[in-house]
Amino acid sequence: MSQLATDNASTRDKVQVKKNVKPLRSYLKPTLAYILLILGVIIVLVPLMWAAAASFTPNHKVFEYAYPFSWRALFPVDFTLEAYDNLLERGFGRAVGNSFFLAIATVVIGGAANALAGFAFGRFEFRGKQFLFLSVIMLTFMVPVDLTAIPRYILVNSFGWINTWQGLLVPGLANSLVIFLFRQFFAEIPQELIDAARVDGASWLRVLVSIILPISKPVLVAAGLLMFISQWNSFFWPLLIAPRQEMRVVQVEISLAIGQYGTVWNELLAGSMIAAIVPILLVMPFQRYYVQAITGTGLE
Amino acid sequence: MRLSRQLIPYLFLAPALLLLIVFNLVPTIATLVESTFILSLRSGERVFAGFANYNRIFNDPVFWKSLQVTIVFSLLVNPIQIFLALCLSILINQKLPGIGIFRSIYLLPIAVSLNVTAIVWGLMLDQNSGMINGILTQWGIARQPFLHSVDQALWSIIVIASWIGVPLWSLFILAGLQNIPPPVLEAAKIDGANAWQSFTRITLPLLRRVLAFVLVADTVANFLMFAPILLLTNGGPQLSTNLIMYETYRRGFLYGDLGASSAMLSVMLVIVFIIIGIELYVLRGQD
Repeated sequence: MSQLATDNASTRDKVQVKKNVKPLRSYLKPTLAYILLILGVIIVLVPLMWAAAASFTPNHKVFEYAYPFSWRALFPVDFTLEAYDNLLERGFGRAVGNSFFLAIATVVIGGAANALAGFAFGRFEFRGKQFLFLSVIMLTFMVPVDLTAIPRYILVNSFGWINTWQGLLVPGLANSLVIFLFRQFFAEIPQELIDAARVDGASWLRVLVSIILPISKPVLVAAGLLMFISQWNSFFWPLLIAPRQEMRVVQVEISLAIGQYGTVWNELLAGSMIAAIVPILLVMPFQRYYVQAITGTGLE
Repeated sequence: MRLSRQLIPYLFLAPALLLLIVFNLVPTIATLVESTFILSLRSGERVFAGFANYNRIFNDPVFWKSLQVTIVFSLLVNPIQIFLALCLSILINQKLPGIGIFRSIYLLPIAVSLNVTAIVWGLMLDQNSGMINGILTQWGIARQPFLHSVDQALWSIIVIASWIGVPLWSLFILAGLQNIPPPVLEAAKIDGANAWQSFTRITLPLLRRVLAFVLVADTVANFLMFAPILLLTNGGPQLSTNLIMYETYRRGFLYGDLGASSAMLSVMLVIVFIIIGIELYVLRGQD
């Protein structure tokens, strides 16, 4: 504070000058901000627009407007559904179905398990609470799952779960970040709400279903989005655990497409666009919840 | 009745906690144990090998090269991403008409998977007919080899990773910026601080916790960079993008040498624990 005061004294003469410039400066700042914002938007949108446009283009014309570059590269000027038709014929629909099935199962089963654990950490006092939270939740949150994939693979292999649905699904159900989100939310629910129901003799499970769940929409949406999208976008584990073709998920299918039919670019891009559009359509209407979900842990 | 009441919290915890212990905690410890075994994926035999796996990887120039590439990659990608994320977060924190639309657009890369990003950017960076070369030639600059060049491949991976990383981490910093009470900044303004002074003396110190978190989380995430390497370079050219995570995959699953792979993962695990230890230390100092 004292330093700012000194600065104030030393710059007093300049303040007079600044006042005259102010109208210009007040235009300059937003203009500069918009220029930078638009530059960023170009970097974000151009790859997506080109990929989308190219996926609706005959394969021999995919690079036609990209090199040499013309604005037509960003719009499907030679529109065709050829790539999507071929992709479906190759059985890409099955991979999409697999990914949807896994993501929805993760949200439903994993969501229930994580919500229960989050509730216990948020509302109950019990022996070993602190220890369990630090040793299990915090530790598993900090160690990235891909780093421990090989011993997990050996473990799942010993269950005979290679190339099975349970091998794909079960290891990803519990999610410490999601437990963390639920804990934060449940801890802030007023005690009176719960007490009233408990006095009426309701069981804890009943309290959870009829009192807590109806008021928990924000955390349910946030946790649901987080689980759905991380399962939809997951790649390393499905790549290791389910090499069989009928069980391939979208992310694995498009990654193999690069090697298998590497020069059929429009199909590669069509697959990529299908993989991208699902999370985008989910995030856009629920932006606030999604941002809260992913930044939830960074500020605690 | 009394007993069952005491059991309730544990019943609530049981499903998720058991899953986390079996599929996350046990494998974390098992990584360290597994690294002392030699295991063949095909025959399934496990033989105790002591430090043999470590001996092998520590005497392997490919391992050291991939560690070196990973360190160079980390030292480049993390400062770049965090600096740009800080700039972007300040930009989208401005109270300007239409800022909500910009924020929505910047969310797009975060929803898209790294695979899709790698595929799209891989084609954009194509050395013959990619769009980036299309734009460069229009500006009179010669075509660049990008992913096919020892000098440019790692930079191409940095660009690809940052397309997702910068908007992602800017969200965390934006949340930190919005947590700063406006009166604090107003008071500085009244005291005559210019924008730069109030940024360096008030905003940055108040962002320290968030920035420390972002630094660690970003470092760990980039340390495990995998998909773009598998999809675009396979570690090449001349091992110039052979990041450590890809090397563990190549050893373990392409060559079936899970022992060497586990030893590498153990080394990585120790490095991650050191990074996290530093995080906890730094954050504790802030309270």
